[in-house]
Amino acid sequence: MIRTELKRGTAELAVLSVLESGPLHGYEIGRRIEEQSGGSLRYTLAALYPLLYRMEHRGWLRGEWQTGDSGKRRRCYRLLPRGRKMLKPMRAEWADLFRALRRVAKVATHA
Amino acid sequence: MRDWRAFVTERLGSVRGDQAERQQIESELAQHLEEYYDDLRTQGVAEKLAFVQTCARVGDWKELRQEINSARQEGTMTDRVQQIWLPTLVTLVLAAVVLTILAVVDAHPVIFDLGQLRGVMLYVPWLLLLPVVGAIGAYLSRRAQGTGWRVYVSGLSPALAWGVVLVLVAPFAFLVNPAVAPGLKVTSILAMVVSWVVLPGIALGIGIALQGLQRSRTATSV
Repeated sequence: MIRTELKRGTAELAVLSVLESGPLHGYEIGRRIEEQSGGSLRYTLAALYPLLYRMEHRGWLRGEWQTGDSGKRRRCYRLLPRGRKMLKPMRAEWADLFRALRRVAKVATHA
Repeated sequence: MRDWRAFVTERLGSVRGDQAERQQIESELAQHLEEYYDDLRTQGVAEKLAFVQTCARVGDWKELRQEINSARQEGTMTDRVQQIWLPTLVTLVLAAVVLTILAVVDAHPVIFDLGQLRGVMLYVPWLLLLPVVGAIGAYLSRRAQGTGWRVYVSGLSPALAWGVVLVLVAPFAFLVNPAVAPGLKVTSILAMVVSWVVLPGIALGIGIALQGLQRSRTATSV
């Protein structure tokens, strides 16, 4: 349970962060996350798309079909104000968590 | 060239929602797989290996289907609460509070006596305030992206609630009291329907319509 929630939590932050710079389609979202995390964060379709649909239902994102220059129709996700508002507290929350984990890990190493 | 759409349709199975929604999901997933496969091929990965890696990218098809259904279910529940239940509750409470305040300040209804046990009652101040109540209900529903019947159910909920009460409770009450003459039953019910369902419904409907008009004007001017 915690593992799933944790995974979901990191993915939410990752998706919101890559969308901060502009709208992207699903494949590009996954690719950017992987690229920016140096390959550490790689989400399967089973993890990425349900998350995108959840975030869309919550009003954090909006997905719209667009036809690109190549003529391909893709569903592009755009960050909505509600999603943008979530970014700051989410980043702070994760930063706190990592700081706490680092402290714990340090104590464990010295013990 | 591989038909990724057929590939997804075959493996994904039944996803909740209407046909158009299912097709959109299948198209989106197929598009993702196709782009990943093409990228691998561009990088020089052999066809067979690229296909295997693309398939691995999906994860578990069953999990994908279940998670999509669960995400959509969550969305539907959230939508229903925000577009119907919450505005309905607010509208019902507001209508009741206004009526209670009028009763406390002793505002008597105008009664059109039909010469029967109960005539048509007009709580004029209440009816005048109901458009505001209906508009608030419609506003809350539309703000949550509610459309069509959801907006009307939210805005008309006080009248609908009285309608349900009259349909379910009133006939039973008349059955319990056999002293009421047969002719009187119908007249009384009709008078109550007009007093508590039809007229409040019209007043609330005016509020819903005006709120819709105001909303479309604002949208046009933006």
